[in-house]
Amino acid sequence: MFSYYLRLAFKSIRRNPILSALMVAAIALGIGSSMTTITVNYLMSANPIPEKSDVLYHVQVDSWDPHNAFNDDDIPNQLTWTEATNLMAANKAMRQTAMAKTGGIIEPSDQDVKPFEASARLAFGDFFSMFNVPFLFGSSWDAEADQNRSQVIVLTKRINEQVFGGVNSVGETLSMFGTNFRVVGVLDDWQPMPKFYDVNNGAFDESEEVFIPFFLKEELELPNWGNTNCWKSPEGEGFKAFLRSECINFQMWVELPTQNDKAEYLDFLNSYVSEQKDLGRFPRPIQNRLSNVMEWMEDQEVVADDAQIMLWLSLMFLLVCLLNTIGLLLAKFTGKAAEIGLRRAVGASKGDLFFQHLVETALIGLLGGVFGLLLALVGLEGIKSLYGEFVRDLAALDFTMVLVGLVLALVSSIAAGLYPTWRACNIAPASQLKSQ
Amino acid sequence: MLKMTEIKKVFRTDLVETHALRDFNLHVDEGDFVAVTGPSGSGKTTFLNIAGLLETFEGGSYQLDGEDVSHLNDKQRSQMRNEKIGFIFQSFNLIPDLDLFDNVDVPLRYRGFNAPERRKRIEQSLDLVGLANRMKHLPSQLSGGQQQRVAIARALAGEPRFLLADEPTGNLDSKMANSVMSLLQDINDRGTTIVMVTHDQELARQAKRNIYVRDGKVSELHEVSELPDAVTA
Amino acid sequence: MLEIGPIFRALMRNKVGAILIAIQIAITMTIIVNAVFIIYERSQKMQRESGIDEANSFYLSSAGFAESFNAKVSIKEDLAALRQLPGVANAIQINAIPISGGGWSMGLQTQAGAEYDGVGVAVYMVDEHGVDTLDLEIIAGENFSPSDIGWRETAQRLWPDKIIITKSMAEALFPDDPFETAVGKTVFINDTEPMVITGIIDKLQAPWVGWDRVENAMLSPENLNYESTRYFIRAEPGQRDSVMKNVEEFLAESNTGRIIRSMRSIEETRERSYRGDSAMIKILTTVMIILTVVTALGIVGLASFSVNRRKKQIGTRRALGASQGAILRYFMLENFLISSVGVFLGAALTVGLNVLLVNQFDLDPIDWFYIPIGMVILWIVGQLAVFGPAKKAANIAPAIATRTV
Ligand SMILES: Nc1ncnc2c1ncn2[C@@H]1O[C@H](COP(=O)(O)OP(=O)(O)O)[C@@H](O)[C@H]1O
Ligand SMILES: [Mg+2]
Repeated sequence: MFSYYLRLAFKSIRRNPILSALMVAAIALGIGSSMTTITVNYLMSANPIPEKSDVLYHVQVDSWDPHNAFNDDDIPNQLTWTEATNLMAANKAMRQTAMAKTGGIIEPSDQDVKPFEASARLAFGDFFSMFNVPFLFGSSWDAEADQNRSQVIVLTKRINEQVFGGVNSVGETLSMFGTNFRVVGVLDDWQPMPKFYDVNNGAFDESEEVFIPFFLKEELELPNWGNTNCWKSPEGEGFKAFLRSECINFQMWVELPTQNDKAEYLDFLNSYVSEQKDLGRFPRPIQNRLSNVMEWMEDQEVVADDAQIMLWLSLMFLLVCLLNTIGLLLAKFTGKAAEIGLRRAVGASKGDLFFQHLVETALIGLLGGVFGLLLALVGLEGIKSLYGEFVRDLAALDFTMVLVGLVLALVSSIAAGLYPTWRACNIAPASQLKSQ
Repeated sequence: MLKMTEIKKVFRTDLVETHALRDFNLHVDEGDFVAVTGPSGSGKTTFLNIAGLLETFEGGSYQLDGEDVSHLNDKQRSQMRNEKIGFIFQSFNLIPDLDLFDNVDVPLRYRGFNAPERRKRIEQSLDLVGLANRMKHLPSQLSGGQQQRVAIARALAGEPRFLLADEPTGNLDSKMANSVMSLLQDINDRGTTIVMVTHDQELARQAKRNIYVRDGKVSELHEVSELPDAVTA
Repeated sequence: MLEIGPIFRALMRNKVGAILIAIQIAITMTIIVNAVFIIYERSQKMQRESGIDEANSFYLSSAGFAESFNAKVSIKEDLAALRQLPGVANAIQINAIPISGGGWSMGLQTQAGAEYDGVGVAVYMVDEHGVDTLDLEIIAGENFSPSDIGWRETAQRLWPDKIIITKSMAEALFPDDPFETAVGKTVFINDTEPMVITGIIDKLQAPWVGWDRVENAMLSPENLNYESTRYFIRAEPGQRDSVMKNVEEFLAESNTGRIIRSMRSIEETRERSYRGDSAMIKILTTVMIILTVVTALGIVGLASFSVNRRKKQIGTRRALGASQGAILRYFMLENFLISSVGVFLGAALTVGLNVLLVNQFDLDPIDWFYIPIGMVILWIVGQLAVFGPAKKAANIAPAIATRTV
């Protein structure tokens, strides 16, 4: 029976080519535009580390100005050097890493490769295991290297290719910041989307190109990349004074496997801040926060406002296209009143007719969905060309999105088809046989 | 009132040329009641359409109320239809989305009467056909005979001098047909000229004059006034 | 002659199609009016002037890495040489580039003390060539003199004792006084450190184009003793592209202990900084056009269908005396009625969506006149869309009335 309905549907679509094309076009445009924006929003709001996102917590404490909150009513989004080092020293979580962004010039030993500037992440050895960072060669540095301020370095695949031609460079020496580092590891491709561990320079920024132990910041007096905010000027001159100031430039993440661990860590933070208050710091009321990955992404509003506005507008657009389809289907099915009356008269039940027309509607919806997905591809290309290369990874259809697109097209077109179909099937069997 | 001489009408389609009317001649005087009969496809409706200015013709001349209509433009023809001619159709042609009041109102709107005048005329003409109490009903809520009465009321509301009816009883049973016929006779008695196409000989005989159309030509004319006035009331 | 009453009553007996069109028009209007408003706001934002000579200026970074690299010496030599290069109008070292997205902000306050709030300001560290290189105009007070310029060390806390600020900044600091009177006044940085305003410039935007106080900027008379630094260069009119090439080659060769990178024209910087806004404008424009076409096609489709369905009725009306004009008018009027319902509903939805956007995304509330303009436009779109089918209806032969189907 289904294949019979399918044949009837094809026939009916061919009989009204313009009307059918209009419907397919309307659905395709609606699906195309909403799939484009849904994809962008979906990728922006994607969980960058689904397997661990609820045990990794971003640490915030309110070390800000007694007279003004950091941002409206919110607490600072980064830590001072003092907090970063104190909290690391306390070592209260299963894994933990303070971190910051810096950068400098790499001078390859190969004279043919010109010196170039590279971004670097200062972190603790736990960084790699906490965030499931994949290694191609070697591994992370150990806790001892952290404490000893060893000049070791982990390279991304790209930098390893650029400097060492892609061979296993573990054990080799690399010159950066005017000093020598020993390569301990080379990463495989790794680009969390969003770059959740530090969204200060844009949530969809590229990961840093090399990784070095955190305390080298002090040792080598490395510059602050990324945002620095101060509410109070440093006490004294020079790099050390600046490092020990109330300026915030550091992030910290902890891994807490259970809710209990989280509660204990919060208690620890509260008691830590109380101690600091005794030392005359932390002039504001105690307000500390642990946010897991998705909470932090929410808090930092990584999904751009413009993307959300476009999403809502395009969903309204889809609604217009569906209303359009309802109208056109209504027109089409009313035009078929005679045929429906006849089928009813020769014994088709309402259910039969309902199903027959639903198949027709679904077919139109599916066609619209397929064309819509093609339009979405065009739309995403358009977004890429408008926003430039940095949205490359935010504008790609994956399998889930293709499926979502087809289901959305099918469901919305069937929803649009329900009323016209119902109306068509309620034509009285005899009404069309009687002359008007 | 109506004077057609040598009217010709040809329908051309891709395949065929149909000579619907060939040298059609007819005079109808003021106050007459003419019944037109003839076989199917003989050109009766075509004649009526031309008479009612719904269609143009190719040869010959046509004077309506002393005016040569062949030079009139669409707007003038519409105005003439509106003011001088009333139409009654076989399938009533009531507008299904409008109630009886609004249906009868249609030609009056095009006439440009003001609202009180329109209301007065609508009520009068619906009263004449005995449906004044159904003003707010939709056509679908009426029987065929009643619908045709509304159509007659609509045709009369503008007080046309000339009433054209194409098989007005074609979709009605004989009882209803007779009542519509006697309504038409009443109207004719008040001075309205009527031309009615019918295939019902019985009804045709009740008209004042019968013409017979065959192959697009009036083939015989005869007065029927000598016959008994009405078979049944 | 106007038949609003019967048309409306007929519509009410055949609601679904009409309601569908009305809702489509309402939503279309909602999207279009809000989109036009967003487009207008964004293009206003993009049209703001940065205050610098955008067409002829560019900048680059120089990062020293060699043991032997001496920042102070290198900067002095570079600037002296750059200013001599053919085609270069002037050149400076600067800490941040206007409208580039990255920069340095501080707070200035008129009273000393941590308890007083400061006014946010973008800081540009320049020497006495800053005003000329950035193509600014001193509208009160005077420019820095060479003796005012000091060297800023990395992580230095203290500030110079003179500054030049923009007119907007002067007005923000002293809202009750004419801006000229700010010259000679003392303001405080880092809560308590005094600085005297010695000059006012007409206009200079901050690096952050999305900042609500983008015109608040100050010039600080300093060179930076940083190994990694930026040069800002203004070329003679029309020579920017050739100068850019020469400068890059010249600097790279003059000192091999550093790398030259990130050379970019201000025009390109503007394009990058406003890329999101210009993309939004283009996307919204496309959406508006497609949406209008879809809605118009919907109207054409449904109107054609309704004309087809009412052929007999139209013939009958013609037989009863309707001229072609009257039939045309009927359909135009019918569409006007449907559109009217749509645009009034649309007016309410437009305001609703705007309120939502204001609350959710901090957009500005829409100006009232957008609504009537939107209504008129949608009315016109409806009338244009229905004109074809209405014309078709008017051309239906009256003789169809007597045809028995
Ligand atoms: N619009 C038309 N196009 C083509 N042929 C037509 C058209 N109207 C009528 N005819 C032809 O003209 C002839 C006369 O038709 P008509 O006047 O309707 O006859 P009657 O009303 O007497 O049955 C018929 O052969 C018919 O097929
Ligand atoms: Mg006929």
